[in-house]
This record gives sequence, C-alpha cells and structure tokens, in this order.
Amino acid sequence: MQNTITIFRREFASYFNSPIAYIFIIAFLVLNSGLFMTGFFLNGAADLRSFFGNLPFFLIFFIPAVSMRLWAEDKRTGTFELLMTLPMRAREVMMGKYLAALAFYLVSLAGTLPLPIMISILGNPDVGAMWSGYIGAALLGGLYLAVGTFTSGLMRDQISAVILGIMACFSIFIVGVPGVAATIDGWVPGLGSFLQHYVGLSGHFEMMLRGVITLGDLVYFLGLTAVFLSLNTLWLKGRKY
Amino acid sequence: MIEVRGISKSFGTMRALDDVSFSLGRGEILGFLGPNGAGKSTTMKIITTFLAADQGQVTVDGIDVLEKPLDVRRRIGYLPENVPLYPDMNIQEYLTFVGQARGLSGGQLRNRLGWCVEACGLVTEYKKNIGELSKGYKQRTGLAQALIHDPEILILDEPTSGLDPLQILGIRELIKSLAGEKTIIFSTHILQEVSPVTNRVVIINEGRIIADGNLGDLSREAMGTNRVFVGIREDGATVEAALRELGEVTEVHPLPAEGGCRFEVRGPFDTDLVGAVDRLTRDRGWEMTQLHEATFSLEDTFISLTKRADGSLKGVA
Repeated sequence: MQNTITIFRREFASYFNSPIAYIFIIAFLVLNSGLFMTGFFLNGAADLRSFFGNLPFFLIFFIPAVSMRLWAEDKRTGTFELLMTLPMRAREVMMGKYLAALAFYLVSLAGTLPLPIMISILGNPDVGAMWSGYIGAALLGGLYLAVGTFTSGLMRDQISAVILGIMACFSIFIVGVPGVAATIDGWVPGLGSFLQHYVGLSGHFEMMLRGVITLGDLVYFLGLTAVFLSLNTLWLKGRKY
Repeated sequence: MIEVRGISKSFGTMRALDDVSFSLGRGEILGFLGPNGAGKSTTMKIITTFLAADQGQVTVDGIDVLEKPLDVRRRIGYLPENVPLYPDMNIQEYLTFVGQARGLSGGQLRNRLGWCVEACGLVTEYKKNIGELSKGYKQRTGLAQALIHDPEILILDEPTSGLDPLQILGIRELIKSLAGEKTIIFSTHILQEVSPVTNRVVIINEGRIIADGNLGDLSREAMGTNRVFVGIREDGATVEAALRELGEVTEVHPLPAEGGCRFEVRGPFDTDLVGAVDRLTRDRGWEMTQLHEATFSLEDTFISLTKRADGSLKGVA
C-alpha cells in the first residue's frame, strides 16, 4: 500500500510538473462545456443528459492522451528499469500509476461541477440523475484508463500508445452500439449480442444517464476495468525487454 | 555473495548469454569487461531481477533471484546503462522519491540524502531540474540513486560513460572508498578503468566468459612470457652473448639505441629476470642506462584473450 502511494504521488505530481496538465484540463472543460452549452438554451431542459451523453465518445480521445505516457515514457527514458528493480510488486507500481491517472481525470471532471450548480439555479433538475451521471462518468473514465494504461505498456513511444489506446477504447464503445451488434450477429450469430452485453459500453452507460445504477452495470464497469489492470500486471511480469 | 551459475539468455534468435558463470565474495569489487554488445548489461539485468534468464541460476546473498526477487532488490543498488532519471523532477525530489520507494523515511531518509548528495558531488545542483543537468551530473545523480538505501551490493553498468577525465577520477575514488564494506560489480568497455579500482576481472565476449581472475595473472597468461628491457653503454655483441648465457633467458632481441646497446630479453614468468640481468651488469661492471619490466597493457591482454576465444578480432571494440 505504501509503495502504491509513493508511486501515485510521483506520477500525480508529474502531470502538474509540466504545462500539459493545464492544457488537458482546459481543453476538457472548454470542449465539454462548450458542446453542452451550445445546445443547452435550445433544448431548454434543466438536465445534464447531453453533457454525459457526449462523454463516451469524447473520452475515447481524451483518456488515451492522459494515459499514454504512463509506461511508454518510462520505457523511453529508462526509468522503467528503475521501477522494475525497486523492491515493489509489479501490481503495486501499476496501481500507483493507474490511480494517479484516475485522480487526474477526476480533477478534470470536478472542473465541470459549475454546470450542475448552474442548472440547479436555473431550473429544477433531477439531482439523482446528475449524481448517477457523475458516478457513471467516473466509472467510464476508470475503464478507459485501464485500457489506456494497458496499451501504453505495449508501446515504446507515446504516439503509438495513444493511437492504440484510442482504437481499443473505440472498439469497446462501438460493439455496444445496437446497429453494430446486429451487423456482427449477421456474420457470426450470437457474437454481436454477446459483445454488446458483456463488452459494449453504450447500454451500461445509458442506464446511468437515466439515473439508474444497477448491480449489473457496476459489475460491468469494475469487472472490465479489473480485467485490463490484470492484463497489465501480467504483461509486466512476463515482459521481455 | 553473488553466484551466477550457467545462465543463458536469448532474444529471439540472438544468443545474448551462453552458459555464463562466475561468483563474487562479500566485499569484493569485480570489473566486468567486454566489448559493446558482449552481454555485460544483460548479465547485470538478470542479477538485478529486471530480466529472467532462460537457463541457469543466480543467487544473491544465498537468495534465488527468481524465487524472491523483492528480497534481492532490497539488497542491491543498481545503476543501469541508461541512467533512469525523471527530467521533470529536481535532484532532491528524485532522490527523495527513490528513497521512499526503497522504504526510507524521516531522519533516515534525510541522512542518506545528505550523504549521497555530498558523496556524489551534487550539492550545488541539488535544486536543479534533472532535465537541465549536464551528462556528468546526470550520471552522478544516477549513482546517488543507487546508493540511497546504503545497499550491500552495488551493480553499476558503465558508471563512467560520458564523463570527463576529472569526473571519472571522482567516480573511481567513490567506488574505491566503498571498497571493503560493499560488494561491487561495475562494467566497462574501457580497459584502463579497471586497474585503478580492482584486480579482479571477468571478461566476457559474445555472450561467453573468456577470462575470470586476477588482472596480473590474466595478462601473464595472455602474453605467455615475461619481458625486460635493458640498455647498456657497451659493445652490443659482447652484451648479447653474455645475456644469452643467463639461465633465466630464453630470447634476446636487439633494439635500436643511441650510444651503447638496448635489448628486449624474454623469459618465463616464474623467474627473476630483472634480478638476473642486474647481477650480470654489476659483475661485469657495465654502465646501465635502462632496466625495466614490460607492463602488459589491458588492451594487449584483452585483444589476446578475445582472439584466443574466437580465433579472430571480430567484435573487439
């Protein structure tokens, strides 16, 4: 635990040691709030549905950009060798890095809190739906980050890491879309619906937007996150340099 | 303290290490020599648990590196060839991070930080960002990182690469000052680096150990004979005849000289060649201008050993 905290502190601080963190956060807030506010007055509805609705697609690009440096940077500079010869388990190092990236994402997400406050002043929104939306956004980011952390480990440079991460997150997103699932079902009967329910994202996230958090959706997000984090640990243990 | 038994390692079809064995006692310093790409770094990566060998066994302080890697890592301070630095941190932050990651805290961490910064000559750059440091300071920061937890064992991969002569001297002094209390392996492809620090060397070439032992013995073995250079202010033919009569001498080669004569005299290592030549000149009452034993350069030794190992000079840097 102490080891994970040590790694977490270094990784989290390193986001803010460069201007990249601030650029990321500002881009995240401007794009998301901008997109939301453009439609807000037209819709005339006091809810955050469209904000959260954009997230699964938006985060496909944002999250791999946050996670790309986690392993790729260490491999490039040689600090990977330092980390892997510290008296720590591979899992502890990996969790420290993952949690640092997650904390960074949550800081960005916290920056959008003026939106629900503004809506509460302007109208009479469904507070429960806003809460579950934020929980869903956190879980969604956590899942994408697990994917992005894993793909960062497979690559030696950040550009490949971010592209692979985007492709992997996009795959998880797209197999959950009903039309895509139907098409895959056309090729291999059953595979499309299987992927849609167990890997695909949209259905699970959709429920949270409506203010419904089911055990199944929680298991989906946390389970798939755990799968990618375990893959990451396995990769660390079986690495060939 | 460190036992390497028959380790082999391949990367794809490339055989990086082939049945490498050597051992090192507590408090010993080992110079690990070899041309670039000989397998020095791979061996060190296996000892430090960064890589796993395909075959063979490595134990550190009696602990198998594969069974209990964390216990092994605790005992080792490691400076990889690519110095592992975070350019966005300053030296203080970086060393504090490594110290904490190695389980130090509070006063203990402060003490070790102070010692390392002093010993590695980092005091003036302490608050500077690592990204802005010169190569020499980066190397020293890497060394400080390896020393932070006061390890029993130090594994230093090319610790003096990229340093200027004065800095090399500093690192050498530091390694020497740690002698006795720490077990140290340091690798280099620059042969002159070894002799000021230690006598014990292991030479590796193309993944195989080609020599293991005392530097002096190795050079003798490699060169075959003892050689003495002698200069005498006397007629060349007389001196040559007298030298040839000495029982210790097997060969005499005349050398060019100004005023008098010079010879290279060869003989077996176990005889006192210098003494014999000295006695001869005293007995005859000759005036001696020069008398010294040939010292074998590391280069000669190294080239001779690598040649013998694979029959060619291929791969000798």
